[in-house]
Amino acid sequence: MFKNLKSFYMYLFLFFIAGIIFIPLYVSIVGGFKGIGDLRTNSLGLPTVWYIENYTGLLVDNKFWLFTWNSVLYAFGTTFLVILLGSMTAFVFAHMKFFGDKFLFNYFILGLTFPFATAILPLFLRVRDLGLLGSVWAVILPQIAFGLAFAIILFRGFFRQMPSELFDAAFVDGCSYSQFYFRFTLPLSTPIIATVAVINLVGSWNNYLLPLIMINSESYYSWPLGIMVFRGEYITDWPKILAFVSLTLIPAVVFFLALQRFIIAGLTGGAVKE
Amino acid sequence: MKFIFKLVLISFSLIFYSSVNAETIKWLHIQGDSSPEFPNYLRAAEDFEAKTGHTVELQYLENEAFKAKLPTMLQSDDRPHIIQSWGGGVMLAQYEAGLLRDITDLVPQSYLDNVSAAASDAFVVKGTRIGFPRNVSQVTWWYNKDLINEAGVDVSKIVMWDDLLAAVKQIKEAGITPICLGGKDKWPVHFIWTHLHIRNGGKALFLESFENGGWDRPEYIKSGEQMLQLVELDPFQDGWLSATWPDQAGFFGDGKCAMAFMGNWMIGAQKANSASGEGLGIENMGIFSMPMTNGALGESTDTLGGISGWLVTKTAPDAAVEFLMHMVSSEYQNDDASKGAYIPVVLGADKLLTNPILSNVASNIGASQYHQLFYDQFLGPDIGRVVNDVSTDLAAGIINPEEAAQLVQESWEFNQ
Amino acid sequence: MNKNKYDAILSKYSTLIIFIIPALTIFTLFVVLPIVEAAYYSFYRWDGYGEPNKYVGLKNYQYLFKNKTFILSLQNNFYIIAVSLFIQLPFALLVALLISDKIRGASFFRTVFFLPYILAEIVTALIWAYIYDGNYGMVAAIWNFFGAQPPYLISEKDTAMMAILIVIFWKYFGIHMMIYIAGLQNISKEVLEAAKVDGAGPITTAIRIKIPILLPTIRLSVFLSLLGSLQLFDLIMPLTGGGPSNQTHSMVTYLYYFGVMRMKFGFGSAIGVVIFLICFTVAITYQRTLMRKD
Repeated sequence: MFKNLKSFYMYLFLFFIAGIIFIPLYVSIVGGFKGIGDLRTNSLGLPTVWYIENYTGLLVDNKFWLFTWNSVLYAFGTTFLVILLGSMTAFVFAHMKFFGDKFLFNYFILGLTFPFATAILPLFLRVRDLGLLGSVWAVILPQIAFGLAFAIILFRGFFRQMPSELFDAAFVDGCSYSQFYFRFTLPLSTPIIATVAVINLVGSWNNYLLPLIMINSESYYSWPLGIMVFRGEYITDWPKILAFVSLTLIPAVVFFLALQRFIIAGLTGGAVKE
Repeated sequence: MKFIFKLVLISFSLIFYSSVNAETIKWLHIQGDSSPEFPNYLRAAEDFEAKTGHTVELQYLENEAFKAKLPTMLQSDDRPHIIQSWGGGVMLAQYEAGLLRDITDLVPQSYLDNVSAAASDAFVVKGTRIGFPRNVSQVTWWYNKDLINEAGVDVSKIVMWDDLLAAVKQIKEAGITPICLGGKDKWPVHFIWTHLHIRNGGKALFLESFENGGWDRPEYIKSGEQMLQLVELDPFQDGWLSATWPDQAGFFGDGKCAMAFMGNWMIGAQKANSASGEGLGIENMGIFSMPMTNGALGESTDTLGGISGWLVTKTAPDAAVEFLMHMVSSEYQNDDASKGAYIPVVLGADKLLTNPILSNVASNIGASQYHQLFYDQFLGPDIGRVVNDVSTDLAAGIINPEEAAQLVQESWEFNQ
Repeated sequence: MNKNKYDAILSKYSTLIIFIIPALTIFTLFVVLPIVEAAYYSFYRWDGYGEPNKYVGLKNYQYLFKNKTFILSLQNNFYIIAVSLFIQLPFALLVALLISDKIRGASFFRTVFFLPYILAEIVTALIWAYIYDGNYGMVAAIWNFFGAQPPYLISEKDTAMMAILIVIFWKYFGIHMMIYIAGLQNISKEVLEAAKVDGAGPITTAIRIKIPILLPTIRLSVFLSLLGSLQLFDLIMPLTGGGPSNQTHSMVTYLYYFGVMRMKFGFGSAIGVVIFLICFTVAITYQRTLMRKD
């Protein structure tokens, strides 16, 4: 009896927390379907009249898709290059001994302790002086640079655990370093590539500060900038804003549910082995 | 290094860049499509395109977004060619950073003869013309006639600051929110504090402080004390600290408060931001100047306001200047004046002001011996923002009048 | 043979150079140099044009540490850390302990609790900005329902920071819970069986066995939480933008409003350097002392 009561309290507690997580998401999604008056008096209930205009209006809005496309471009551009450059560098650190290798590795690792905000103004000047301000590279290049350190650590750790017999055998067969990298290392590294990809995709997709400072023209806005402009234009028209918010929620949740395993591995920093 | 780097990127960049037409004039304005002047913006652009074959690209940013984005935007290669400006120190900083274009030789005297000289000179720095005026404005108290009558207040009796305080108290007792204020954007709050500065200190002390410091003098501490007298009456709407300027205008337009302290662009803004989209009718609004204070060194005719206009940025084509001369002309300003959109700078257009409030403002500015530009623009990007911060902190009860004055002085010293 | 060896060395070094140079260039150009430059610019007053030439010594730093808003932002970062470490993490640990046992619905709860973490900070903040809105929001609706005057949580200086802390808690406890669950799954079954045989109840097992084994994981999550808290930005911007009246700035939003938006490259760099020094000191001290054995 006591045990049952205890587990009753436990479930009560867990469902209570789940409710606290769900309610904000729920009120946002249904809020997008409400009229402003309805929203004000009836925040928690279902809409008395369902307005779908807020959602459909966005879905036929070219800007909405443009912002989304730009974010895709930033995210995939960054991720592709971080994986490529990070794994190449990690490959060198994993398989080659050369003068200053330890020093160079530590040089990269130092990047982990550099908070991105510290250098935001000099970074702005660098991008400006390279003539890249307002272009896609203004977002992608700094994101790559700040994504490299962690990617290199993860890749190096993974490459080192690959059986060395494989490498020896390939080398005897006359396989060069670069051939080995493309033919064996990369294809065998899908789990770690997935982890690095998730970290960088999510990081770039959600990034706000960098595009905020680097991007000026609406045609290059990422969706976080777009949503903030939207918020600025429809200050108190909450149903419109909530519709936009909800539309960005849905792909995130679907993406998460579909790839949960990789995402958890990626976001818990790869530091914990699943 | 830089060169190679660019070269590598160019090949990639071709995918992302579209070619830029040299005859496209990029014009960044802060008036949205529901503002009264917008139809004439469109008409001016279309007429100009038809006449010259150039393209005018209108780009809109909301006021606050504009101010946040402009500093970085001006530094990028895709900066707009024409931007909104309120003159003063912010403009000076942009000029000194080399971001604006010297257009002195492109503007003929015959054109300038048709524009108010005082307004036109506001866009000349050290003999160099960098822009054009558009309108002048004044910051005054606005009231909702219905609500004021309901509370039994007679605005013609509000002559001194104490009268205003008494009126606020009376409105409050009638169960009406006395004043709408956009505390999040801060500059609406600084109007109150700095207009008290203008009353208490007058022109001479302002110029003295501007040149030699002294923003912490007793006259300015007094403004803070007076502002606190107002704040103690709890006159602002609930949540005013997180309300923006469009909120403020919308609340006033919806009749949620009896008064607001704002420039004459309030006429269009209270309509555009109201929930109904209609706002208050012109017959239901009135204005009165900031009352005088005891022991004031300033004159009751001194005004706080703006001379707003357009600046031409450094990479703008000549066509941008042509367009500005085309747009700031009687063709469009006469029409805007008769619609009551703003107080025009083109000579003769002000005669067409039919809106009683705007005529009133125009005559106030005409009678003023000291028209002080908005502090936050005039004092430059840094001190100006400190004034905004400090005014809001003061109204929020976070700092006291001495600290407020001291902080402005410190910022002034830091910028010397 | 000799030629082969020569070729091999050539191949090795050419690969090495080709493989490492792109990453090295980008990393140096966009991470390392900007930080060195920030340290340099912080001694100047500079609008970002031409060469910095107005040397002001430590004036930027003096102004910064005299500035009440900055001191307040430091204090706010401190609150964020305190709430994260002393409320959020213990709570996450409790939840992790509850659902790591094979209870029914464990994976459901795990997924739900982790959900807020995958949302963008901007989106999270906008959702909560709506909930807190005194005119239209959910909180207002609830208060109105009971006939009470609704509070303006993010407009009042006394409640705004609290409102932000609640959102931080909501958003980030899931990631820590997940880290703990992963750590708990690594505890061998034999150890737990042995405890059961000894007659230890679930609470005793948790305190005596699970938590001690979990300590390295906890130290890691504390570390991530510390560094994350020090760099908080995205969440604050849409919620309060540092307001009301600059009461809720974090160090990074302070940097954005007072350095970047005002294009004060010298002063802004000084803020950046201070953030860097704080993060760096915290990271190094923590790793050298607490995480030494991990």
